[in-house]
Amino acid sequence: MVQAILDAISLGGTYALAALGLGLVFGVMRLVNFAHAELITISAYILVVTNDLPLIVSFIIAAVVTALLAVAMELLIYRRLRGTGPAIMLIASFGLSVLLQRVYELIFGALPKSAAIAPWMSGEVKVAGASVTISSIATVVITVVILLIAGYLIERTSLGLQLRAAAIDFKTARLLGVRSNRLIAAAFAISGVLAAIVGFIVVVENPQVSPMYGVNITILALVGIVIGGISSLRGSALGGFMVGVILSLLNTFLGNARVYAYSWLFLLVLIILLVRPGGIMSKANEMERV
Amino acid sequence: MSLLEVKDLYSGYGKVEVLFGVSFKIEPGKSLGIVGPNGVGKSTLLKTIVGEISPKSGSISLNGIDVLGKGPEDIVRLGLCLVPEGRQIFGGLSVTENLQLGLTGRKDKSTSKKALDKVKEIFPVLTSHAKHQAGMLSGGQQQQLAIARALIADPKILLLDEPSLGLSPTVIKDVFDQLKSIISNGTSVVIVEQRAHLVTSFADETLIMRNGKIQARITPEDAKDELKLKHAYFGSDN
Repeated sequence: MVQAILDAISLGGTYALAALGLGLVFGVMRLVNFAHAELITISAYILVVTNDLPLIVSFIIAAVVTALLAVAMELLIYRRLRGTGPAIMLIASFGLSVLLQRVYELIFGALPKSAAIAPWMSGEVKVAGASVTISSIATVVITVVILLIAGYLIERTSLGLQLRAAAIDFKTARLLGVRSNRLIAAAFAISGVLAAIVGFIVVVENPQVSPMYGVNITILALVGIVIGGISSLRGSALGGFMVGVILSLLNTFLGNARVYAYSWLFLLVLIILLVRPGGIMSKANEMERV
Repeated sequence: MSLLEVKDLYSGYGKVEVLFGVSFKIEPGKSLGIVGPNGVGKSTLLKTIVGEISPKSGSISLNGIDVLGKGPEDIVRLGLCLVPEGRQIFGGLSVTENLQLGLTGRKDKSTSKKALDKVKEIFPVLTSHAKHQAGMLSGGQQQQLAIARALIADPKILLLDEPSLGLSPTVIKDVFDQLKSIISNGTSVVIVEQRAHLVTSFADETLIMRNGKIQARITPEDAKDELKLKHAYFGSDN
């Protein structure tokens, strides 16, 4: 039971981080960046290929490369397409996602690459009389710490205030002096670092990295930001967390019927959207008296 | 040198042309009204001035600096702030956070605290609602917040798009009184309104727009002649 709860929280936290990364970019650009998946993938690849280095060095390299790739996406592709309309941006992000998958295939090969990342994390410890894996405790700690840092950044800093304002109304934010290029680049960089952290968390559990490694997480994180409230950063993180927790609990408690876990998950998503079409956090943002 | 000078401005949206050769200027510490029926291009004019829309031709200079091609975030830093139509406050953020966002466009960050205190002095209602969600304020309070948020950037010129929209006559009077005090402190004000009578008696000069052009320029004295005002507003056929 303890392991099941820890697994649910850790998977929820992982999806919350992925959803927050997607939500940050959506907030400032109204872009659903499908290529976020490839940011998670490159982080995982780098952790695998630099596995001989100390873990912290390996992770710093992964985070820097992932953040740079995210910023490069914005500078080379999305910035040039700004103002062309959401459909073109969406197609561009699909195209970029597929392109990067093929590039990874060329560089790393089509077959999964693997390495034992932080093998000490697969050990077990006793918590409340039950055996739980170190990796699930580490994941919970990492995600809680990162979500607290992200929460501080978003809620307490000037950059965070600008990101929140831009997520609500980017045009008005610019009228007040918010520098659009700088803010969007910052959002992509933060989104890249969050993707690198997600990449680290998932590669510890599943070190078989292939070109489409990050796709599944990204799709579920997208579901999370839709049910959380696509225009709210808090909503994005909360939605991602909910998707992860629900999926983990379904996998644990459905037993042999776990093949239907996704069906149950999406049924729940449908119900949530029928009750709150704008997402769980949409009401708070729309609270206007006049 | 004028504070803001717009010369022979042609602008619009894609192939749709809205403005046809608009020219005007405003001096420091003065007020200018721009009135006209719905759809004549008043908001397009403001959007072009603040850099939201690129004009087809013409020039816009602020304190002698050509601002064509600059984005809204750069134009704010040159001293021109817009209070957009419908206030556009961030309803989900607190009043204080809305005001803090106004500091983003401020050049001199060292006096930010002073600027916050100053606008709270002009709009005392914002102090008592500092921690409240801005979306929960009344229409008049939201308008005051929108003006305060723009003033915090220390603009030399303040542009207001339909500041009376959705407000009761008493609240409109309060807002215009506050604008008078802002002008007396040396900030120029440009007010765009559909309701001509609100602006013509208030502004040093009022431009009347029709069909994307400035059709008449009237002073508060001219505005006392209702027939003249009516002809200028609707055209001589009406």
